[in-house]
Parts: sequence; structure tokens; C-alpha cells
Amino acid sequence: MIVFEDVTKVYDPDVVGLEDFTCHIGKGEFVFLVGPSGSGKSTLIKLVLKELRPDTGRILVAGRNLGTLRNSKVPLLRRNIGCVFQDFKLLPNKTVYDNVAYALEVVGEPRRSIRRKVPEILSLVGLAEKTNSLPHEISGGEQQRVSVARAFVNHPPLLLADEPTGNIDPETAVGIMQLLVRINRTGTTVVIATHDRDMVNRMRRRVLQLEAGRLVRDERRGSYDQVTEEVGDAF
Amino acid sequence: MRFSYFLAEAFGSMRRNWVMAMAAVITVFISTAILGAVLVTRDNLNQGATNLKNRVMIEVFIRDNSSPAQVSALQHKIDVLKSQGQVKGYTYISKEQALAIFRKRFGERIVANLPINPLPASYQIQVQNTDNVDKVAAQFFNDPTVDNDPGTHNGVKYAKETVRKMLGTISLIEKGMWVVTIIFAAAAVLLISTTVRLSIFARRREVEIMRLVGATNWFIRWPFVFEGFITGLFGAILAGVFVWVGNWGIANWIKSTQIDFLSLRVYRLWWQGGTWPLGLLPTLALLGALLGAVGSLVALRRHLKT
Ligand SMILES: Nc1ncnc2c1ncn2[C@@H]1O[C@H](COP(=O)(O)OP(=O)(O)OP(=O)(O)O)[C@@H](O)[C@H]1O
Ligand SMILES: [Mg+2]
Repeated sequence: MIVFEDVTKVYDPDVVGLEDFTCHIGKGEFVFLVGPSGSGKSTLIKLVLKELRPDTGRILVAGRNLGTLRNSKVPLLRRNIGCVFQDFKLLPNKTVYDNVAYALEVVGEPRRSIRRKVPEILSLVGLAEKTNSLPHEISGGEQQRVSVARAFVNHPPLLLADEPTGNIDPETAVGIMQLLVRINRTGTTVVIATHDRDMVNRMRRRVLQLEAGRLVRDERRGSYDQVTEEVGDAF
Repeated sequence: MRFSYFLAEAFGSMRRNWVMAMAAVITVFISTAILGAVLVTRDNLNQGATNLKNRVMIEVFIRDNSSPAQVSALQHKIDVLKSQGQVKGYTYISKEQALAIFRKRFGERIVANLPINPLPASYQIQVQNTDNVDKVAAQFFNDPTVDNDPGTHNGVKYAKETVRKMLGTISLIEKGMWVVTIIFAAAAVLLISTTVRLSIFARRREVEIMRLVGATNWFIRWPFVFEGFITGLFGAILAGVFVWVGNWGIANWIKSTQIDFLSLRVYRLWWQGGTWPLGLLPTLALLGALLGAVGSLVALRRHLKT
């Protein structure tokens, strides 16, 4: 689904976003992206969306090379990727309902099916009561859930989530994770950047660990922290 | 294209940014009102020029003691000029007709006191091309049938320098008006696109988000284009009504002051027929809507490069 080959992204002055990054994420996988703040997780997600272009290397998404993908095809790429943004990226003048509906409007979904799908996904993330609120009228956690709902509502084949549980209480966070797992079971590839140690440790899924833009660990059933032999012995 | 969705988006955004929308409407109002005023003025100048041109005629006065043969020789001379295409038409005014016209203009009392009819008979000749007035008039300067005082040509009266200079001035003003029209049209596009650009600049984060969730450029553009279209339409309709009422008011005022040779034409509001059949209101509305939509597109161009 996603292929990175020797990808390097350096931000303007001289800040390394991602360095010599190579990895394959298969169709239907469930992957955690971990690493300290500033290690390049969001950079990776932005590269998949073609919000950023790499300086060197090659990125393929669903078999398409982003380097040669025409600009006019970028909207099509993004419609097939649901993304929960770290800063939510909600449209400030639209209600919760209209923000979620927007993802369906852009693909030309019929009005009737929008009226059915949006309330459905909103009650799934526990926002049935906030349908007509504006983003600035709801809490950070609620905004995050709107972002989650918007990313899911399309049932895209690829789901990217940049800290989807960052501002959410543990109970709701578990609910969101269960939702992600359910979505993954339907065949959707899911990539989650997170600092949620408990969640990663409990789920035991594939873990990619970044350190200053470099891939330092790729474990099939990983935990949040690197467990070396010695440390393991020490416990 | 989801017409109703884009329209609703446009109206929603105008309601939210109503101050900006008002500014845009006022901008369009001012620019199209100026355009409308130019249009009406040009129309009236045209009318005036046509009137003046019709007045460029040569009056040839006939000596009272001319024989009928001499008069018909004179008429033949005019006929020849007509067949050559220099003269458009002519009318013969007899002494009696001349007196009747005089009586009508200056009143019965003056005429009643006249012992004889002092007014000569005349031919009123319309020339084909106003620039040739001199040449045509010169044909009659030395005609013995013409009522010249000795050594002069005062038996031949025709529009001299002043009228022709006025015509020249009018055509110059007309050309100037064209330039003004073009300048104001350009200014209107610029003003509208600046207004739209400001509102897009204020919403660039919004546009960025739309693109990130997969909206195509046209999906983002349409609401803005509709917004410009509606704004332009609204401002221009206001301007159309404003200019028309102004035109009508001034025309009526001039009529009431009875300087009727300065009769002002009121531009048709809806429909006028002819080469440009639309009246003032549809013309300006069309123009305003077009300016608004184009202004939006111009303003968006920079923001929607990938
Ligand atoms: N637009 C930018 N311009 C310059 N430097 C940037 C920009 N965005 C990110 N960086 C830098 O690139 C590096 C990687 O950033 P990135 O956002 O990918 O980290 P992250 O792993 O998502 O961190 P966090 O867990 O805090 O979200 C950081 O050093 C950051 O300061
Ligand atoms: Mg990040």
C-alpha cells in the first residue's frame, strides 16, 4: 500500500524531517508509528498525502508513484486516504455535521446518503449531541473526534491518523482504537502515529520507531519502547 | 456540478463575511455606476451629434426678381448635385411658406405690420457628407439667381466653423469616453479581484484544508465564483437603477426648463433594440456579474496552484 525508498526530507533551513527512510506497508496492515516529538512522524504522513515532496527517494501509494503523479490527480489520491490530522484541520465556519459531510461532498456523494452516513459516524464517535456546533464551540477532544469521523466516513482504503487519541480521555480513546481495529478488519490499511504507550503495548501490532528522522526499529508485534535483552533482563 | 450546494456555500460565506460582501457590492456599485453614466452620456452625445449633423444644411436664398426659368435652372443644378451623391435632399420654401414660418416663430403682430413680404424664397439643401459643406455651398456663391448682396456670398447660408468644430469636439469626447470606459472596466476588475483576494487570503487556511481532504480546485473555486457573480449582479443592479433614475431626473428637469433644443434622451431601462438590444439595467447587470465572476477567478489563480 505504501512504499518508501530511501526517502529524505530536509526542511528549509537545515532541519531533518526524514532521512534515508525505507519501508513497505502492505495492504490491510495495522501499523503504529512511534518516536519522540520531532522524530518525523507527521513528516511521514504529510509525504504520503503529497502535502510535502521528498528531496530524494521514491514514494508509492497504492502503486502510484507520487513523484510522477500529476497535480490534477492529487485530489483523487487524497480522497482515497482518510487522514486524522494532528491539528484536526476542521473548517472553522462549518458545523460538526458539515465538516464531516464535506469529505462526502467532495466525492459527489448523493445528498440522501450523506444524510444517512454523517449522523451514523457521529454517533459512533460519540458526537451525536454536537451535530450543529461549530469547531470553536467544542472541546479539543471533541474536535479530534470530528477529525476522526471525517477521515472514516468515506471508508477509504488507507487511513492515516496522526495522534488520534492525543486529547481524548482513556475510555473514549479505547473506543476510537476499537473503531480503528474494526475498520482495519474490513481491509483498510491503518497507520497511526502515537505517543500512547499503553495502547501500543496492549495492541501488539507492527511498530515503526523513528529517531531524528531515521527508522530505528521495525517490529512485527512490537511494543512502544525498544526492549533490548539487557533491559529485558533487568526487569 | 452541484449547483445548489455551491450556491448555498456562496450565500453562507457572504452571510458570515457580510462586511467584506458589502465592500465588494459597493465597489461594483461605484464602478458600474460610472460605466453606466459613461454609457448614457455617450448615448446622448451620439444623439446630439446626429441632431447637429441634420442641422448642417445649406440655405440658398432666391432673388425676388428671378424668372421661373432661372429658378428651375437653380433647382436643376441642385438635382445634378444630388445625382452626383453630394446632396442628400432638398426642400423648396416659397416666400409665403417663409412668412408662415416667421409668423409662427415671432408672432402675428410683427407680421401684421409689414407692408410687403420681405422674406425671400429659398432652397434648403441637406448635404450627404457634412465635411463637404464648403464645397457644395461654393457652387452657389456666384449664381446670379442667388440673393447675394454685391461682393458677398450672404445669399448662401450654411453651418460654418462653429458647428463643424462642435462635431469634431463631440467625436473627440466620444473617443475619450471609450478610453474612460475601458479604464474603469479594468479598474472594476482590479478592485473586485482585490476584494476577493482579501477574503480568500483571510480564508487561505480553509482553502488549504479543503485541498487536504481531497477537494478539486474547481470544487473550491465554484463557491467563490458564485460569490463574485452574486456580488457583481447585486452591485450592478443597484447601479443600473441609480443611473437610470438620474438620467430620467435630469432629462425631466431639462424639459421643464424648456431649453428643449438640448433634449436629453433617457436610456431605455430594459430593452432598446438595435445592435445592442439590452437596456441599461440588463447591460450593467450582465457586466457586473461577469466582472465579479472574473474577478474571483483572477484572485483565486494564485491560491490554487498545487
Ligand atoms: N514546516 C516545517 N518547517 C521546518 N521544520 C519543520 C517543519 N515541520 C516539521 N519540522 C521539523 O521537522 C522535524 C520532524 O517534525 P515532525 O512534525 O515530523 O515530528 P513528529 O514526529 O510528528 O513530532 P510530534 O510527535 O511532536 O508530532 C522536527 O524537528 C520539526 O521541528
Ligand atoms: Mg507530529
